[in-house]
Amino acid sequence: MATQDPSPAGTGDEVDEDDYMNMVIAEPVAPKEKETYTQRRMRKQREAESRGRTKSKIEQAADEAAAREAALSASLFTNPATASNNKGLAMMAKMGFTPGAALGSRENKDARTEPVGINMKEDRGGIGLDSEKKRKFREEAERQGKRVKAEEGDYRERVRREREEVRLEGMVGAAMRVAERMTGEREEAEALEIGDSTLEVKKRKIPNKPLKQINILWRGLIRQREEKERDRRMRYDLHQSLSRFPTYDDADEDAEDKTALNKEPSQYVLVEDLEEEDPELDEFNALDPAVRLQKLVDYLRQEFRYCFWCKYAYSDEEMEGCPGVTEEDHD
Amino acid sequence: MADRRPDEQEMSRPKKPRTGDLDPTANPYLAHMYEESDDYNTGYKSRNGYSNGSSTATSLSKFKRHQTTALQAHTAEDGPNNPLNNAPLSQQYFNILKTRRDLPVHKQRQEFLDLFQKTQILVFVGETGSGKTTQIPQFVVFDDLPHMSGKLVACTQPRRVAAMSVAQRVANEMDVKLGDEVGYSIRFEDVTSSKTILKYMTDGMLLREAMHDHDLTRYSCIILDEAHERTLSTDILMGLLKEVAVRRPDLKIVIMSATLDAQKFQRYFMDAPLLAVPGRTHPVEIFYTPEPERDYVEAALRTVLQIHATEPEGDILLFLTGEEEIEDACRKITLEADEMIREADAGPIKVYPLYGTLPPHQQQKIFEPAPPPARAGGRPGRKVIVGTNIAETSLTIDGIVYVVDPGFSKQKVYNPRIRVESLLVSPISKASAQQRAGRAGRTRPGKCFRLYTEAAFKKELIEQTYPEILRSNLANTVLELKKLGIDDLVHFDLMDPPAPETLMRALEELNYLACLDDDGNLTQLGKLASEFPLDPALAVMLISSPEFYCSNEMLSLTALLSVPQVFVRPASAKKRADEMKALFAHPDGDHLTMLNVYHAFKGPAAANDPKRWCHEHFLSLRALQSADNVRQQLKRIMEKNELELLSTDFNDKNYYTNIRRALVAGFFMQIAKKDGTGKTYKTVKDDQSVLLHPSTVLNVDSEWVVYNEFVLTTKNYVRTVTSVKPEWLLDIAPNYYDLSTFAKGDIRTALQKTVDKVNRRQAMKGGR
Repeated sequence: MATQDPSPAGTGDEVDEDDYMNMVIAEPVAPKEKETYTQRRMRKQREAESRGRTKSKIEQAADEAAAREAALSASLFTNPATASNNKGLAMMAKMGFTPGAALGSRENKDARTEPVGINMKEDRGGIGLDSEKKRKFREEAERQGKRVKAEEGDYRERVRREREEVRLEGMVGAAMRVAERMTGEREEAEALEIGDSTLEVKKRKIPNKPLKQINILWRGLIRQREEKERDRRMRYDLHQSLSRFPTYDDADEDAEDKTALNKEPSQYVLVEDLEEEDPELDEFNALDPAVRLQKLVDYLRQEFRYCFWCKYAYSDEEMEGCPGVTEEDHD
Repeated sequence: MADRRPDEQEMSRPKKPRTGDLDPTANPYLAHMYEESDDYNTGYKSRNGYSNGSSTATSLSKFKRHQTTALQAHTAEDGPNNPLNNAPLSQQYFNILKTRRDLPVHKQRQEFLDLFQKTQILVFVGETGSGKTTQIPQFVVFDDLPHMSGKLVACTQPRRVAAMSVAQRVANEMDVKLGDEVGYSIRFEDVTSSKTILKYMTDGMLLREAMHDHDLTRYSCIILDEAHERTLSTDILMGLLKEVAVRRPDLKIVIMSATLDAQKFQRYFMDAPLLAVPGRTHPVEIFYTPEPERDYVEAALRTVLQIHATEPEGDILLFLTGEEEIEDACRKITLEADEMIREADAGPIKVYPLYGTLPPHQQQKIFEPAPPPARAGGRPGRKVIVGTNIAETSLTIDGIVYVVDPGFSKQKVYNPRIRVESLLVSPISKASAQQRAGRAGRTRPGKCFRLYTEAAFKKELIEQTYPEILRSNLANTVLELKKLGIDDLVHFDLMDPPAPETLMRALEELNYLACLDDDGNLTQLGKLASEFPLDPALAVMLISSPEFYCSNEMLSLTALLSVPQVFVRPASAKKRADEMKALFAHPDGDHLTMLNVYHAFKGPAAANDPKRWCHEHFLSLRALQSADNVRQQLKRIMEKNELELLSTDFNDKNYYTNIRRALVAGFFMQIAKKDGTGKTYKTVKDDQSVLLHPSTVLNVDSEWVVYNEFVLTTKNYVRTVTSVKPEWLLDIAPNYYDLSTFAKGDIRTALQKTVDKVNRRQAMKGGR
């Protein structure tokens, strides 16, 4: 095999003697690793598989479009497969045509040399939509580029800030849970005083308060939890109802069927509530996590004489022993 | 019908269904052999000089050619006798005369005559509604006095319907019978006589006449109307007239256009003088959308409904791209409007579709008045027309005040590089957009809602629509030009010469079809093919069909391929329609299936009540009837050229094989081969991936297929396909299937195998 021969090509010197001065020292060609029988077999198999595999529709469409584009962009005069021995071109040459020129009167300067292009419209987008999309994409790309440049320097700063934000969010969550629990405990205590025991039963399961009546400070927490619960239940119902939407009501089924199929009327009390817009909450959530945290801490202190940082409910108004309202005070 | 279903025993030989013991005359497959011979007098009657039919002097007798003044013409028109034939004029004539004199062109009659008399070529610009199509030819007749020299005045139209209806109108205006002094001539129909002095005709028809009469000696004046539409035939005619004008200084030429792009015409015709007549139009206010639309159809519907809800009385014209889209939009608008009427007390609404393939009586409906208010004093009713761009220039609909223009139309495209001629939805041009807007100002000031931004209008729309010649396969045109005696195709002075590659493809194709020899001269076959008003491939297929003993069948098939789709598949009954189609299905392909349909249509089952039969079987009576008509015309041309009309015995096992082989004789350049194991096919030589169109009856087991049409949509489809054998390709078109011209690949390998197989077989035969 020629590839096995390490001598460089082009040393066709008559002189047999080695000319050490001019000798090209060939890069040591790494001896081509011999393919073992198994390797070769595997490779062949892989190749055959890729050949034999039926292409997916998307791949097919892409291939189709690529073949079309390739054919559309190449002039027939420059493509040897179509230009050589082409009798049509030969006839035109006899009439005085040279490739590259246009047809028609020589005075006609507007005559075209290229065929009219084909533009495939694949959707119902209006005129200008595509270029509008492109423009937006370009602008976005430019903006991204600028932002990256501006922020390249303070990468560390950014990472630090992001970490801080995550940490603060975590603490906001914790504070909300504390606030909810403490409020719940207080309400329970009040209810016991009144002697309303029915309330207690319901209490733990579904908070019967509409979302809007829950304190804005931890409403987000409740909402999140309820949303999760709803999704879970819907998934469950969907699962149980054998691919039918849970609300689907089959007229042929009587009450017993429903019981058998575990199709008791689902409770969707919360859904309506959840689907309502809550601008107040949105506004609150838009605040900086540090601000939200501070509000929660203040609230806990005022209502329950509880310090989020000390994790302790003080008995007196003054909260004697707590170093301060901020985290730093507790360092 | 039942006797045509192959029974059990025949299932093993599907290619040879039998008809049983029927009387041969009742055999639907052989119906064409027993057609009663009709003695239709063909073509044009020879006009051996003009016999001065009515010897009585008319008011025109005193006129001097090319010296008529507007006043003289005016007096002659006032009667009391018809200036053309001296018959007393009817009351209807005078009624029409009154309205004619109100038309804008009438005021400039003298101006027109002055220019017309002074020059050989005149460019005339008149917007729609100026009356140019009906009046100018009459002005010309009164000045050119063609009857005195035994010649005619011709006025060309791009569309057959226009030629027919305008001729009828002008015959009424001149108070003569259609076909006498005023007539028309369109493909497959000639309504003229020896008396005819003014002939409306399609531009294609005049071109065909020029093939036999290169100098158009029958005519003293030729008027090319609607030249702005730039049809293929109009463009060729202009190139031709430019040459004829030099050879015939006595020939007058008027180029009429509806747009202000007239300078281009002037320049092209050696700076011919221009006369412009204003149309009768009102101002149109144009609105653009602030943002590009995500879905132009949905935006269009929304706009129409909004207009209905908020704008004062006046009809709406909405432009969409095709039949399906239009029908769908009509349904949706009606539904939504009904709700508006119930809930918001909106006025009643009536929605009409308008597209080319709509039957004429349904097209007529668009002229019905808008519905009256639902109750006395209620909100006024409104008419909504949802149409393709045929509503753009050709049809004049009064009462339109609002135009909704999404900015798209379906346009023919051709690209020589992949040899695809297809209809694609494309953005319109600025000129088209202006035309569309103009439709709103016919009766009173109107509004045009463009569903794109002003910036998009300025930046994205091209100035003018590309003329058809740049968007067409020119094989047929080249054949026509050759027949017109034009040999230097490269330097033929066209207004917009096509891309050189298009010409190369056309010449190549004609060479493969043996219509042109290697030097570019017309062959005997080429001359014969140009006699047929068909694409060269179809013509060659027809001419060579006697060699395959099936010219009768190919005649039917050619006719079927030249008319709109015969199968009807309404959205509401797709399944039923498919079942009905399956009754006619032939396992070997769509061409044979169409042939089955035609034979059944001509058979006894359909004879009694063809309309009902077609309706029951989801077939288009109109398409089948026009196929029948086309077949008769083609048959006449076959007979004139002494081509034998033959059929293989229907019981012969080669009946269908012969037909399939004859197909290959014309369409060997439209072959696709199955690609691997999937459903895709590859077109031979162009190597484009295609799928069989879902409408096909052919299953995907056929290795090689011949196709009639390459449809470009989001997927590439080939439509109307029939399976063929590779041996036939090599045998019937050896030049095209010269293996050395093929690129390496699957197709070449497969063909090589076939060659080997054939050789082997022959060697075995020889050895024996």
